[in-house]
Amino acid sequence: MGNLVLNTLSHTFKGFFEILALFLPRLLSMLVMIAVGFVVALFFKALVRRLFGIETFRKYCDSAGLTQMMRKAALPPPDVLLGQLIFWVIWLVFIVLGIDALEIAALQEQISRFFLFLPQIFVALVVLFVGLLVANFFSRATLLAATNANYPSARLLSGLVRLLIIIFTVTMALEQIGLGRHVVLIAFSIAFGAIMLGAAIAFGLGGRDVARRVLEKRFLESEEKEKEEDISPL
Amino acid sequence: MQDRPVDTLQTWYKDAIIYQLHVRAYHDNTGDGIGDFRGLTEKLDHIQELGATAIWLLPFYPSPLKDDGYDIADYLSVHPSYGTLEDFQAFLEEAHRRDMRVITELVLNHTSDQHPWFQEARSSTDNPRRNWYVWSDTDDRYRDARIIFVDTEMSNWAWDPVSKSYYWHRFFSHQPDLNYDNPEVREEMWKVMKFWLEMGVDGFRLDAVPYLVEREGTSCENLPETHEVLKSLRRRVDENFSNRMLLAEANQWPADLAPYFAEGNEFHMAFHFPLMPRMFMAIKLEDRKPIIEIHQQTPPIPDVCQWAIFLRNHDELTLEMVTDEERDYMYDEFAREKSAKLNVGIRRRLAPLLENDRRRVELLTGMLMSLPGTPIIYYGDEIGMGDNIYLGDRNGVRTPMQWNGGWNGGFSTSDPEQLYSPLISNPVYGYQAINVLSQQRSEHSLLSWMRRVVRLRKSSPVFGRGTIEFLNPANHRVLAYVRERGTNRVLVVNNLSSSAQAAELDLRPWQGLIPIEMFGGNPFPRIGELPYLLTLGPYQFYWFRLRRF
Amino acid sequence: MAEESFLSDEFVRQLTAVGEVDILVGIPTFNNRSTIERVVNAVQIGLVKYFPRERTALINPDAGSSDDTPEIVKNSSIRDFRTLLSATPLRTTHRITTPYRPNDGKGGALRIVLAAADLLRAKACAIVSPDIESITPEWIEGLVRPVYKEKFDLVTPIYHRHKFDGLLIKNILAPMIRALYGVRIREPVGGEVAFSGRLACHYLEQNVWHEEVVHTGTEVWMITSAVVGGFKLCQSFLGPKLHALNSSPQDIVRTIQSVVGALFRCMEVQESYWLSRTESQPIPVFGFEYSSGLEPRRLNRKKMFLMFQNGVNQLAPLLESILSPETLKDIQRISQGDEKAFRFPEDLWVKTIYEFAASYHHSVINRDHLLQALTPLYRGRICSVLLEEHRSDAEQIERRLEDLCQQYERLKPRLIERWTQKA
Repeated sequence: MGNLVLNTLSHTFKGFFEILALFLPRLLSMLVMIAVGFVVALFFKALVRRLFGIETFRKYCDSAGLTQMMRKAALPPPDVLLGQLIFWVIWLVFIVLGIDALEIAALQEQISRFFLFLPQIFVALVVLFVGLLVANFFSRATLLAATNANYPSARLLSGLVRLLIIIFTVTMALEQIGLGRHVVLIAFSIAFGAIMLGAAIAFGLGGRDVARRVLEKRFLESEEKEKEEDISPL
Repeated sequence: MQDRPVDTLQTWYKDAIIYQLHVRAYHDNTGDGIGDFRGLTEKLDHIQELGATAIWLLPFYPSPLKDDGYDIADYLSVHPSYGTLEDFQAFLEEAHRRDMRVITELVLNHTSDQHPWFQEARSSTDNPRRNWYVWSDTDDRYRDARIIFVDTEMSNWAWDPVSKSYYWHRFFSHQPDLNYDNPEVREEMWKVMKFWLEMGVDGFRLDAVPYLVEREGTSCENLPETHEVLKSLRRRVDENFSNRMLLAEANQWPADLAPYFAEGNEFHMAFHFPLMPRMFMAIKLEDRKPIIEIHQQTPPIPDVCQWAIFLRNHDELTLEMVTDEERDYMYDEFAREKSAKLNVGIRRRLAPLLENDRRRVELLTGMLMSLPGTPIIYYGDEIGMGDNIYLGDRNGVRTPMQWNGGWNGGFSTSDPEQLYSPLISNPVYGYQAINVLSQQRSEHSLLSWMRRVVRLRKSSPVFGRGTIEFLNPANHRVLAYVRERGTNRVLVVNNLSSSAQAAELDLRPWQGLIPIEMFGGNPFPRIGELPYLLTLGPYQFYWFRLRRF
Repeated sequence: MAEESFLSDEFVRQLTAVGEVDILVGIPTFNNRSTIERVVNAVQIGLVKYFPRERTALINPDAGSSDDTPEIVKNSSIRDFRTLLSATPLRTTHRITTPYRPNDGKGGALRIVLAAADLLRAKACAIVSPDIESITPEWIEGLVRPVYKEKFDLVTPIYHRHKFDGLLIKNILAPMIRALYGVRIREPVGGEVAFSGRLACHYLEQNVWHEEVVHTGTEVWMITSAVVGGFKLCQSFLGPKLHALNSSPQDIVRTIQSVVGALFRCMEVQESYWLSRTESQPIPVFGFEYSSGLEPRRLNRKKMFLMFQNGVNQLAPLLESILSPETLKDIQRISQGDEKAFRFPEDLWVKTIYEFAASYHHSVINRDHLLQALTPLYRGRICSVLLEEHRSDAEQIERRLEDLCQQYERLKPRLIERWTQKA
């Protein structure tokens, strides 16, 4: 009986070592790939940083208010961020490829699912990103216009505009990655509709006279427009 | 304006080319240094070859010559320096033989103070001829009459020491005005006219006609009474003679000249004075505006009547009929030399005025030959003679005719010092450079060109008798017009500027016709729907006969 | 060359018919039916009266008027000059109307006039507004003579105006141009201007016609361009400046955006010129001058002050990124004071403007937004000026203006510092 056990054990261990022997090269190649990926990713990160570190891109970001926003959100500046992003993307690709080299079927399936999911995430991120920019821009434009036209509570108005746009953007992003599609959509529609309806009622009923005056101003050329003083600046 | 056919013989003056000369300046036969009729008769060939069909003679009557013959001392004779009455008659016959008519001067308004009439009139206040002139005890009558010779006269009244009173003179003080309120004066002047008409003279240029009659409180110009006098003279001419012509010298705005044509029963022709300075101005400004404007202001005249147009004459280039601004411009551009200004004008000949630029001379002559009216060529301008502004008064443009490069320019065999006036002798305009003989020998001389352009003008009746329609191309430096009579049409295009120009002409009324360029005879592209594009070199002009094929 | 594409065939044909001119006058129009006839006649008389022997032409770029303005320009003529002058014109008068795209703005109209001046080899050009009611024939003489006879290249106008008119010019444009470009111009943005043919060619050569600054801030660009190009400038006194009543009232926000924005943009393009300049020179003035109007005018200072306060409040986050912390603090301090005792000190104002200019250059936020943020501060400054000067006479106003200009010159190093530092 001792021999049987020993035999089975050695057999099993032999099998195990065989599998291991088969597995090890693959592991090695995976590690190599990861290492190579790391280097390549670093290289591209540096390249991207160099490329996007130049003046025009930075200026563009500045004027779009991006730099500001990211600083507020305690994010590193755009070119750095982009570099990091590229780095991670490339390294991830290599890691995944490496894992793929292990040839573990179950893993492979997950990986392909993951890969399919990636573009969605990417698009959602882009949508969020763009949405944030747009929100920023429009809220600022509203703030300025309202202030210069002497409307009260210009900041409130501008905040409202930003909120609306962000909500809209987030909704779009979520829909993109398919998270709770229907729920989010319905919730958004309801919220949006309610806000609009409420605003219309408030304005139409409560601000009836104001509404009339605003319409008159817009559609009937009235000479009293902005004649706050009788002098001309030029 | 063709309601009834006009007798072309009776209106010969409409097709005429008039050559103006002074017998004194033309040619000397007797060798005394002064031109005469015999000399003139010898040179009629030249005038005939030029193409002139009428000769206008400046006054040749006996005179003290203080106003170049316009101060007449005897209306019925010839100044002895120029010959005898027989010499004149011989000249007249020779001219008629060559189919050339003769127009002489008749100075109605005044005589010389050496005229026997005046000598008698001034001798005493009850002389029968006393009232032949206008006398006054004071010099403040007719205050509103302007002074014409502003450079020399202070007043229109002169004091006569003999009869101790003032006499009226619109011109020089030695030219007392005749009194046309006196029927004797009118009768006598008719007799003078009859004398010459019977001899065969074809027409008179009546000098200074606006001033015949004076009335208190008026400008003493163009009065109705003056017109009455003139109309009655004309009536008598028509009754007694046929195919004669009366030409008025009245320096007025065209609108004010209409009364001199009346209904065709006063003057046959009158000078269009205002056009002349504007032609020069248009060239300097490089803008056709002055010419177009004066034509717009020119009233229509009776069918039998005709304008006389000219570039220069024996007088100064008068600038009376222009605005102050225009006069200043003309002085600045044309009379840089102060001594060139005289009275209200510029005393220079054609070539010096145009800076001896052959192209400009040709352009203006072309315009003279193609604008409505009968053209008058001043002697010497056909060869481009120069002037001498340092001779007094207007004598600078009345120097001897330059026939050849030899002794006295071929004018006279006398001593040069004996000549009535020095010759032009500088290297540019002198008689050795500019003379008839050398220009006759060259096909490309100004004289040859003049002959050609006169011939072209005579080749079509539109120039003398046709209508004019101005085309107004967008390019203001191009003056274009169409002369038309019946089915005869000539398109004239002139480039008034010193640089090449392009002009698009709207020729739709003449669509389908083919323009034939008259100087070369070459056909040009047919006139179509689109604007007709022409390009012209500096100062170039085209005459196109428009023919239907 | 790009010229061919923006001149219509018909226009070119009419220009060739004119050939060559000595003086060209441009009048850009858009629906100016009520005033254009008078302006055209005044220009015409001015040309005939003061330049009787010169060849002249009038060019009218029209942005697509629907009220027959171009027809009026073509047909209005003076029937009888003799009631106005002693003589009729010697030469044919030329008037050419041509359309241009309204999107091209003032710059588009200018470009057409420049092209015409180049093709016609004009020695002197002038541009006149179509809605100016106070124009007289003497304005043409005042504008053109310095160019045509005295050989200057650019003539800017000086108007007889109320002491409170043109405050944007007096508080920003003129002193800044003086401090940066070294020329003391009183009215860099008038509706009228004149320039030589030489300068016109220079303008055409600057291939900047697609840029926004030329469309809206044309005059500023013209002046700075001329100064940088080394041309001779002068000013000419014209007369009172009265525009037709129904012309749209200046929307202050848009005005600041276009004019001040144009100046900032020019500063960017021409920084090599002004970064090293240190002094300013006066430039000659032609014409007979008289002092400004001093009658009281309708003013709503309280509203202006409130808008200033409101603006400073609401736009604080924006202003933080534009201005330096000390300047912002000072502004916030004065905005909290009492309206009656309110003063916007000159040095603070100058610092504000300079910091805005530098921030514009570094594009810290969207440039249009940056300029819009300037508006409430401008209102504050105006309010302060009105309070200080409403009892002042012409001399005191002049002196204060001079002080302000000196401040601009004195604080220039600060601008240079902020301009040239990296973000």
